[in-house]
Amino acid sequence: MQPDTTALVRAHSMDLLAPLLEAFSRPALAIEHVGESLHNLVSLRAENEKLRSENKRMIEWQNAVISLDKENRELRSLLKFKTEPPVSYISARAIADIGGAFSRGLVVTAGEADGVHEGMAAVTGDGLIGRVIETGNWSSRVWLISDPNSRIPVTIAETGDRAILAGDNTPHPKLLFLARDASIPEGAHVVTSGHGGIFPPNVPVGVLREKERGSFSVIPTADLGKITYVRLVDFNLGGGAFNAIGNKVRAEGKKR
Amino acid sequence: MEAFWQRLDFWFRASVPSLSTLLMTLLDVSAGPIPHLEMVLPPLGFMSLFYWSAHRPDLFPPAVAFSVGLLSDIINGGPLGLSALLFTAAHQIIWRQRSLFAGHSFYMLWSGFSLVVLIFIFTQWALRGLLEWHLARVLPVLMQAVLAIILFPLLCWLFIRLQRITASAN
Repeated sequence: MQPDTTALVRAHSMDLLAPLLEAFSRPALAIEHVGESLHNLVSLRAENEKLRSENKRMIEWQNAVISLDKENRELRSLLKFKTEPPVSYISARAIADIGGAFSRGLVVTAGEADGVHEGMAAVTGDGLIGRVIETGNWSSRVWLISDPNSRIPVTIAETGDRAILAGDNTPHPKLLFLARDASIPEGAHVVTSGHGGIFPPNVPVGVLREKERGSFSVIPTADLGKITYVRLVDFNLGGGAFNAIGNKVRAEGKKR
Repeated sequence: MEAFWQRLDFWFRASVPSLSTLLMTLLDVSAGPIPHLEMVLPPLGFMSLFYWSAHRPDLFPPAVAFSVGLLSDIINGGPLGLSALLFTAAHQIIWRQRSLFAGHSFYMLWSGFSLVVLIFIFTQWALRGLLEWHLARVLPVLMQAVLAIILFPLLCWLFIRLQRITASAN
């Protein structure tokens, strides 16, 4: 069988299974909601205080951002800077954790009928979690950044050093190909570099963790173990290398 | 009408082994409330397959083992057909050797299961490593096997109750 045919069979069978999986994920979701509301009740007072002080700080920031944004726009128009294409979102619910000990992924409740396509970035409110690798009509499969097959070009926000974020089936993906002489502080922010054309630059990915046996690992800003809702984002970058390879494979498949 | 209900009742009882294995397979991938649990979650579908292949092989034919394996491949996204092959092979081995597992003491069943699940999990690990040319980390795989062995009595308790439902479906 062609790899494409297998993917097609898998994607469409997944569509049929999606309602079953969704029904199965409901009780777990309910338990999670109950746990969350209990936790919220207990920490209501402290949370309120924290939010008040945070709000004060945010208002100061907001004023600064508004004036900086205006200045930025004026300067960009002076420089004739090419602005990035508009971004479109699709929100979906995660209905299955797949892979177990071998890979890391999710099945989500949105597919081609909702405008999802291969290569879209999957994010939560906190940051990048992965990308769409297979789409059915009503469901899609997302590979997490912790999957052993995942490789994402990233930059250290503080120093501008480039590296590749490689999943290794642990909650903390590793940084590969980081320059040996790079002096990077622990806790530095890791963001996408935009190379490869799949993700735009500066999508938050995680925070650098202490060096272990000579290599850095990253604590993802999004909690990969507790994903309920996902936003599938189309940055309208044309899909980059990922789609280029996919299209080549498909074209070769048709030739045979 | 009476005959219809009787037949429906019979079909329901006869499908308990297949249905419970299907449910266990789906339960294995359901997004649970405990973070990172899925990394070490035991192969519940395989545990169900072991019990029914040893106790009610007449209600659990190889075709069901194959289908459940295929379903697991489709959901989990591994090499299509690998679990189907392993499930069918495991079903054949357990069925042929069932005099070793069933009908003796519970400890005999438990140790038989421990051996079979260790072989199953590590064969799966090795074959996937070979097919994808990348060996997965051993620790989560070992944890899966250990959890499966620890949880077996609990699942057995459930399956014994379910087996009573199937008693009249001969």
